[in-house]
Amino acid sequence: MILSLLIFIPLLGSLVVALLPASQSVGFRWIALLITLVEVVLAGAAYIIFDTTITGYQLLEQANWITLPLGRLGIASIDYLVGVDGISLPLVVLSAVVMLIGVVSSWPLTHRTKAYYSLYLLLTGTIMGCFVALDFFLFFLFFEFMLLPMYFLIGLWGGPRREYASIKFFLYTLLGSLLILLVMIGLYLSVMDPVSTAVAAGLVADPSAVTTDIVHTLQRYMQNGQLDSAQIVHTFDMRYLSDGSNYLPDAFLNPAAEPIILGLPARMLAFWAVFIGFAIKLPIVPLHTWLPDAHVEAPTPVSVVLAGVLLKIGGYGFLRIAWDFFPDGAAEYARILGGLGVLSIVYGGLNALAQTDLKKMIAYSSVSHMGFVLLGIVSLTAEGINGAIYQMVSHGVLSAMLFLIVGVLYDRTHDRRIDSYRGLMQPMPRYTTLTVIAFFASLGLPGFSGFVGELFTLMGGFQSDWLPGWMTAIATLGILLGAAYFLWTLQRMFFGSTWVRPFEPQAGSTSVLSDLNAREKLMLIPLGLMALLLGIFPNLIFNLTSTTVAQWLVKFSVE
Amino acid sequence: MGIFAANSERLRMPVATPQLLHLLTIVLPALPFAGFLALAVASRRIAGILAIALTGIGLILSIGLALSLSKQPITLLANWAILSGVSFPISLRVDALAAMMLILVHFVALLVQIYSISYLHDEPKLRRYFAYLQLFIGSMLGIVMAGNLLVMYAFWELVGLASYLLIGFYAERQAASKAAMKAFLMNRVGDIGFLLGIFLTYYYFHTLDFEILSLKGASAIAPTVLGLCLFMGCVGKSAQFPLLTWLPDAMEGPTPVSALLHAATMVAAGIFLLARIHPLLSPDALVVIALIGTITAVWGGYSALFQMDIKKVLAFSTVSQLGLMVAAMGTGNVSGAMFHLLTHAFFKAGLFLSVGAVIHAVHTQDMRHMGGLRKTLSTTFIGYTICSAALAGLPFLSGFLSKEVILGEAFAWASDQRSKLAYFVPVLLLLSSGLTALYMARQWRLIFFGDYRNKDIPLTQAHEPDWFMRGPVILLAIFSIGLWFSINPLSAHGSWFFQILPITEEASFWWLAPISIGLVLVGGWVGFRMPEPHTNSVFVQISISYGFLDVVYKYIVISPTHRLASLLSRADRRVIDGLVNGAGISTVVLAHLTRVVDRLGVDGLVNGIAWLAGRLGRMTRSVQNGQVQSYITAAVVGLLLVLWWIL
Repeated sequence: MILSLLIFIPLLGSLVVALLPASQSVGFRWIALLITLVEVVLAGAAYIIFDTTITGYQLLEQANWITLPLGRLGIASIDYLVGVDGISLPLVVLSAVVMLIGVVSSWPLTHRTKAYYSLYLLLTGTIMGCFVALDFFLFFLFFEFMLLPMYFLIGLWGGPRREYASIKFFLYTLLGSLLILLVMIGLYLSVMDPVSTAVAAGLVADPSAVTTDIVHTLQRYMQNGQLDSAQIVHTFDMRYLSDGSNYLPDAFLNPAAEPIILGLPARMLAFWAVFIGFAIKLPIVPLHTWLPDAHVEAPTPVSVVLAGVLLKIGGYGFLRIAWDFFPDGAAEYARILGGLGVLSIVYGGLNALAQTDLKKMIAYSSVSHMGFVLLGIVSLTAEGINGAIYQMVSHGVLSAMLFLIVGVLYDRTHDRRIDSYRGLMQPMPRYTTLTVIAFFASLGLPGFSGFVGELFTLMGGFQSDWLPGWMTAIATLGILLGAAYFLWTLQRMFFGSTWVRPFEPQAGSTSVLSDLNAREKLMLIPLGLMALLLGIFPNLIFNLTSTTVAQWLVKFSVE
Repeated sequence: MGIFAANSERLRMPVATPQLLHLLTIVLPALPFAGFLALAVASRRIAGILAIALTGIGLILSIGLALSLSKQPITLLANWAILSGVSFPISLRVDALAAMMLILVHFVALLVQIYSISYLHDEPKLRRYFAYLQLFIGSMLGIVMAGNLLVMYAFWELVGLASYLLIGFYAERQAASKAAMKAFLMNRVGDIGFLLGIFLTYYYFHTLDFEILSLKGASAIAPTVLGLCLFMGCVGKSAQFPLLTWLPDAMEGPTPVSALLHAATMVAAGIFLLARIHPLLSPDALVVIALIGTITAVWGGYSALFQMDIKKVLAFSTVSQLGLMVAAMGTGNVSGAMFHLLTHAFFKAGLFLSVGAVIHAVHTQDMRHMGGLRKTLSTTFIGYTICSAALAGLPFLSGFLSKEVILGEAFAWASDQRSKLAYFVPVLLLLSSGLTALYMARQWRLIFFGDYRNKDIPLTQAHEPDWFMRGPVILLAIFSIGLWFSINPLSAHGSWFFQILPITEEASFWWLAPISIGLVLVGGWVGFRMPEPHTNSVFVQISISYGFLDVVYKYIVISPTHRLASLLSRADRRVIDGLVNGAGISTVVLAHLTRVVDRLGVDGLVNGIAWLAGRLGRMTRSVQNGQVQSYITAAVVGLLLVLWWIL
């Protein structure tokens, strides 16, 4: 029940906000706050209920949604299927927290609040849906639907070039979804649902009577071509998609069949398609250029959500779909993929060093930090995968904090250029303290979460049988570059004698460089404490991920 | 925080139960961190007292801990991260080496803080100052007590943070904030090596625990690259060649901080690391370490020769002495290096604190504006003289003893090497100790002898500081006397120190003491009588700019990195983003072409697409170049629908 509530409460909230008269402008943010608070409570409950010792999905909810006999093409079946495991649950909790912070950050917004909060809640529901959906079709639905509110949130409430940025974001992600869609259909045609097929073939009376023996028998029948194709129930159920024995013998994505398309085995091509689809989201160099534009133009809360949560869907997609459905592809191209991860780390870091806009600098630092996620996943080691999930959570917390920090300054002066400020320490001491904390946490200071994520992804890379040692050695340059761009920014903007480029007080901007107000502290301090807590007790995350990841890795240990 | 596993033998002192010792082990590093937090809320008036009390308690506790230590080290283990069954624990470990460092760190830190009460009396950010100091002490204690490489690395980085905060304490000064950044980044360069070394260690030995590593390291020789990677951490923290240029800049911090940083914390960490990982260093790695140490000893010594800044002379003397310690490690002489670390900590802290008193009196760091201060600052003069004589290595003082141990072992090591070239190491080390005498004598003369040369502040205004500042200097000078360490004034063999940390082979050469005493006397004489050379001279320039290292870095590392970064940034916008935009535009062009073809050709399909485009066009009408973009959208969505239909 919890997972459905996580999805549908915000969706319902979105509808309620949309239906209320626009004159209720102040009330909308309270509704959003209440709903996101409920989300945090629900996610917290899921965290507590979750049994960390068992493998497989938990809190499962399944309902038949669409069943369609297609004659010779078999039976089409789409389920409403949600559940969490150690990979998705940390991200669900993270999303709940970041969405709550996002509402607090949106508090001063006065412009078209009804539409804003309605879209914001829609976004919340679809993000949750994305992380808990276990039916590929359902996942894709949420994945696509997420684009809509995001597009408008950037396009309507963004900066001067918001139209360009939002269209770019939209098209880029749409291109990715197109590739994912193709593979999804291919998978659908290639895979059967052994449980429902057993029922359809008359082996058992109802699904609850199906045992593993029956499944194995059925799979054997199918591989021998003894099943009538009209009786085969095709499925989007991710649990079946990730099991090679469920692939039809003549299906073009069958691991054994290997037809060649465009000079590549079909499965390899399919792997690249989903990889690119999710790599756009993460983003991985060279598919990243939508990110700086989207961030620069997006309003602060949307940047927070974008960096804090949306990017993680890329990493989640790698683990849940690309690597899990196509382990052969992931293993085959490990070196290239590792190279892309290292490229993102170093390239993102160097680009961050060259930026003159604070927000862009942080956007590129995200590219660099997400490179660690890819490196960890590619390593296919316990350290690397656990580290990658941890890094996603850590980056969610820290990037949210960093974008809020940019927002604080932007609210006051409407100027984000690094060289417009010197010696901010004197007029804004508390702001400076929190910035120093956020920067040091992000550059990997032990005691904060950033360190743990980088440490274990790099360690995974180094222990990996799939990656050469020099590759990870180059990746460690990323932590030097991280220190360089963060400390250089600190030194230029916050230290030295105070000077600020003269700015015109605009509508909605505070005309003086006042220190943090209560609301800003309310957002930044909890995030800082979370980064500290996770950094000192990393098992808060690893407890969740350990068992799932160990099971997940079994697939790759055969070779 | 998990279950503490423990093992320790029966203890000598009946008072201290194992439980109590374990408690102490946790409390010791926790105290300063608690102090760091407490100082954030404490009132300014009690800040100094609180800090001193905490460090004082820590000193007493660590002495107690050291006295009740048995042969078996105290170890504590706690879960930290378990990833799919792979465990990375937090572990603390106190053995004789650690216990000695604990006392040293606490003792020097206590004196520095007492001194600071007076030295920074008018500082508005006093609370913050003491809080940072506590963080510094706590992190250093963490390094000392670390039971595995990961814990050491964690505290290692925290020492980096604390030094960043303290060097940049006067952050409103541009130079201070730059120096802080430089220190952190240069240390990071070394830390990358350290981290890679940790990964390599884990790869080869599947553990990071010092206890197990020293057993495994003894049975199998670790790859040279592993040792050298770990050594890079030391190169950064202990300011070895070529990463030594952050240390002189670090003088931007308050002077008492320099005393702490150069004596017991920070730079000592690198030496301590080498002592811990010594079993993992292959013979080849040791040779490299000996060479780097020797180069650093000479480089630092020469750079100290012609500095005019009173603190920079001391900074480079630290570099030089650290080079000596590292070279000792390279020649396999762990105890000798640690012994020099201990003796050096006292007299170097004493030197910095006396120099602080001089700066306090004359309000300048430029030695050209000093002179003739021996009467006015008589206590400081005595303290400084004893400490600098100890540093130079005069007999009866502690520095002489530890240098003899290092040089003796170095000659013994060289005679064991296959190549006679190995003698370069001990010979250069011997020369560098002659250099030490030279620059210290020069500084002694410039500060305390000759005529008073400061025109801004008359000599009558310069006065001795109060006893908060004089006391620590005197105490440190007393501890620089050789008698504390060895009854025999000319040899440290048989010292209590080597009872605790036994030396592997005892090497003593009858000719070594006379030669080194002779060198020190000659160096001291030259330094005292030498006229100041013209600053335009190449030799002076090389010394003052420490071999133009910073210039080299600027042109071969920093500028190219910035150039590469801005090049990539341009490429990112023009090439990668250009391709993206180009793809967008060509799609639009293609869409237009299609439309033209369609208008002329098949009508039915046109209507369909036009309808779609119209719908989407309306959706995105507000868009700036909506016309163009909507076609792409239409095209993609259309394609999607078509595909959906077909499949």
